[in-house]
Amino acid sequence: MKTLAILSMVMLAAFAATAVTDQQLRDAQADAATWLTYGKNYQGWRYSPLNEINTATVSRLAPRWIYQTGAGGKDETTPLVFGGMMYITGPSNNADALDLLTGKQIWHYRKDPPATLNLCCGQPNRGFAALGHRLFKVNIEATLVALDSHTGTVLWERQIADFKKGFTATGAPLVVKNKVLVGIAGAEFGTRGFVDAYDATTGERAWRFYTVATKGEPGGDTWAGDSWQRGGGSTWITGTYDPDLNLVYWGTGNPGPGMDGDVRAGDNLYTCSLVAIDADTGKLKWYFQFTPHDTHDWDAVADPVLIDLTVKGQKVKAVVQADRNGYFYALDRTTGKFLLAAPYTKINWATGIGADGRPLALPGMDPSEAGTKVCPGLGGGHNWSATAYSLDTKLFYFGTADGCEVYYRTKQAYREGQWYQASTDSAIPSEPQTGAVLAVDPTTGETRWRYDMLTADSAGMLATGGGLIFTGDTHGYLVALDARAGKPLWHFQTGGTIIAPPITYTLNGKQQIAIAAGSSIITFALSN
Amino acid sequence: MTHTVAILILASVAACAQTATNPLAGDPQAAAGGGAAFRPYCTPCHGLHGEGGRGPDLTRGVYSVGDKDSDLYRTIANGVPGTEMSGFAGDLREEDIWRVVAFIRSIARHDAAGIPGDGAKGAKLFWGKGGCGACHIVNGRGGYMGPELSRIGPQRSLQYLRESVLEPSKDVTPGSATITVIRRDGTKLAGVERGFDNFSAQLMDVAGNYYSFLKSDVTSATREDRSLMPDNYGRLFTSEEIDDLLAYLVSLRGAEAAR
Repeated sequence: MKTLAILSMVMLAAFAATAVTDQQLRDAQADAATWLTYGKNYQGWRYSPLNEINTATVSRLAPRWIYQTGAGGKDETTPLVFGGMMYITGPSNNADALDLLTGKQIWHYRKDPPATLNLCCGQPNRGFAALGHRLFKVNIEATLVALDSHTGTVLWERQIADFKKGFTATGAPLVVKNKVLVGIAGAEFGTRGFVDAYDATTGERAWRFYTVATKGEPGGDTWAGDSWQRGGGSTWITGTYDPDLNLVYWGTGNPGPGMDGDVRAGDNLYTCSLVAIDADTGKLKWYFQFTPHDTHDWDAVADPVLIDLTVKGQKVKAVVQADRNGYFYALDRTTGKFLLAAPYTKINWATGIGADGRPLALPGMDPSEAGTKVCPGLGGGHNWSATAYSLDTKLFYFGTADGCEVYYRTKQAYREGQWYQASTDSAIPSEPQTGAVLAVDPTTGETRWRYDMLTADSAGMLATGGGLIFTGDTHGYLVALDARAGKPLWHFQTGGTIIAPPITYTLNGKQQIAIAAGSSIITFALSN
Repeated sequence: MTHTVAILILASVAACAQTATNPLAGDPQAAAGGGAAFRPYCTPCHGLHGEGGRGPDLTRGVYSVGDKDSDLYRTIANGVPGTEMSGFAGDLREEDIWRVVAFIRSIARHDAAGIPGDGAKGAKLFWGKGGCGACHIVNGRGGYMGPELSRIGPQRSLQYLRESVLEPSKDVTPGSATITVIRRDGTKLAGVERGFDNFSAQLMDVAGNYYSFLKSDVTSATREDRSLMPDNYGRLFTSEEIDDLLAYLVSLRGAEAAR
C-alpha cells in the first residue's frame, strides 16, 4: 500500500509538471527552470536570474545536443520548456516535442499548407503558447490549432481569417486566463488587421479587436474614403500582458498600401501603433501611434516590454518599445501617455519627437517614382526580433540595422488577395547596412553601449543573472556578451543562420541555453 | 509586415512559367506595367533604363541566360545560381514577371553598335601587356584572384566594363572586397575576400594561397570595398588599347559560345 501511495505521488508530480496553469504563467518569472511563454514572462523581459553560466564561466559553455528538424527553412521559434520537454515550432506548419535530456523527438506535428498561399515573407512560425495540457500554435494559412501536449494530437483547429484574401499567421499565441490571443499578418494584401481571443477549451472566438478603425468609430476619420477597408495594421508579433491592469499590449503593423500614402490620406489609426486592450472584452483602452501615416513599412510590432521605471523623478508603470522608425519609446502603460523617445540609429526622415510624442517629420521623404533615400530602411532600425530587459543592469537590449534604403512608389489598383504594397524598396549597394546590439537605459533612452556587427541583428536577445546577453547573427554565431560592457565573451558557430531568440532553463538543476539555428535546435551547458 | 530576412522563393509560382512565349506579348499595357515593376526590383543592378551596371546591359537584346521569353521569365523568377542575380518569384506575381519580360523586350536595341576596338588585339593585351590573366579566368585559363570573366560580355554593360578597367574600386563585385590582416608580429597580409564575419576572416593572396584567421588571434582584420586590381590601366594602355580590351571582354560569352 505504501509503494502504491508513493507511486501515485510520483505520477501526480509528473502529471502536475506537464500542465501549465494560469497561476504559473503569472508567476513565470519566479520559475527559472522553465520557459512557459513567448517573452519568458507576461512582461516580455526575456530575463532569467540563472547565473551558473556567467561572465567567469561562459568560456566553458559547450553544446549538449543538436536536433535537426528535417523540415527545412529557418526556425524562428521561441521554444517552450516544461515537464522535461521542449516544444518547438518550425516553418510550414511543423512542430515537435523533444526530450529535454537527449533532444530525442517524442512527437511531431505536421499539416501541409495549401498549395497556393499569398505570402509576404515566407512561412515562418515563432512558437507555441501553453495552458493545461494544451499547446497552441498558428498555422500559416491563418488557423489556430490546439494540440495535446502529451501526444501532439489535434484537439481543435479554428480558421482565424481567409488565407485566400491574403491573411496568414506566423506569431506565437499569448495565453491570458482561459483565452488564447493571436495576431495576424497580411497587410501587403490589402487586408484589415486585428487581434483575436479564443476560448482555450473550446476554440470559440471570444472577441476581436480590429486595428483599423472604421467609419463612425473613434479614429475612423483618419482614413480617406473607404481606404480603411484595405488598411493593413497586421499584428504578427506576440503582445504582452499586465495582470494588475488586465491590459494586453500589442503592436500593429504598417497601413496598406505600404508605399502609396496618397490613397489613404490621414493618420491611419491604429496602424504603426501600440494598442492597450482589455483582456476580457477586447475593447481598446488606449493607443499610441508611433508613425502616423506611415509610408516606409515601419511596423510597430516589436515587443512591448513592461517595466516599472523612474522617469524624470516620477515612478511610472511603463511600456517600452524599440520602434522600427528608429526611435526608442517609453509610454505610461496605464494611460498611454508619452514619456520619452530617443533615436538609436541613423534617422533622416524626422528631426525628433515632439512633446506630444508625434514625430517632427521632414517633408519630401515619402517614396517616389525616382526613388527616395530614407534612413532607416524598410526593416527599420529594430525590426521584430525579441528584446530583453535585465533586472540586474536595468538596461534594455535589442538588435538594430543601421543604414538607409531607397523607397520607390507606384500606383497600384487593389485586387482581393493580390499583393498591394504599391512598390517597394531597394538596398544601396555602395552603402551596405550594418547592425548592432544596443543596450539602452529605458529611463532616458540613452544608448549605454553598442556591439557592432557586420549585418543586422536578427536573432533576438536573452538577458541572464550571470551578467550575460545571448544573441546570434546571420553568419550562424551564437554570441554571449557582457551585459554591462557589451564585450563578446564567447561564441559558437552553429552552422545555420540565427533568426530566433535564445532561451535558458535548467535540466536537473544545471543551467542550459537553447537556440534555433537554421533548421536545428541546439542546447548548451557548462562542460565539466 | 515585410521583413527582409525571410523572403522565400515561391517555387510553385516559378513552376507556372511553362509557356515558351510571353502570354502578354500582345498587350500594349504590359511593357508599361513591367516598367513599373522593373524600377524597384531591377534598377539597382540593371540601371534605371536597363542600360546595365553591376548587372548586364539589357538594352543590347542579347542575354546570357537564353533569348526565349521563357528563359527571361525563368531568370527573373528563379535567379541565376552562383551569380548576383537572385530570384523574384517571392516578390512578383506570375503576370508581373511576364510584364517585366515585355518591358525588357521593349528596351532592347538588338544591335552591337557602339563597341569600338579590335577584340583580337584586345585578347593579346589581356593575356600579355595587361597581365589580366594573372588574376582572371577566361574559359579555364587564368588566375583566381579576380572574378571569372568567361561570360562577362553579356553580364556587364560596356560602360560598366570601361569603369571596371579604369576605376576598379568604383563598384566592387560582392565577395571580391579586400581583406587586410595584421598579425600579432606586425606582419601585414592582404588579399581578396573569401569570407568575412564577426569573428573570422578568409582571404586569398596574389599567389593563390588561402588563409583563414580568427579575429581574436590577430591584431586587426578589416574589409574594404576596394579592389586589389591595379588602377593604372588608364596610363598603361592607350585609349585605342582600352577599346581593344573592351571589345575582347564584350566578346566573352562562355566556353561553348567561344567554340
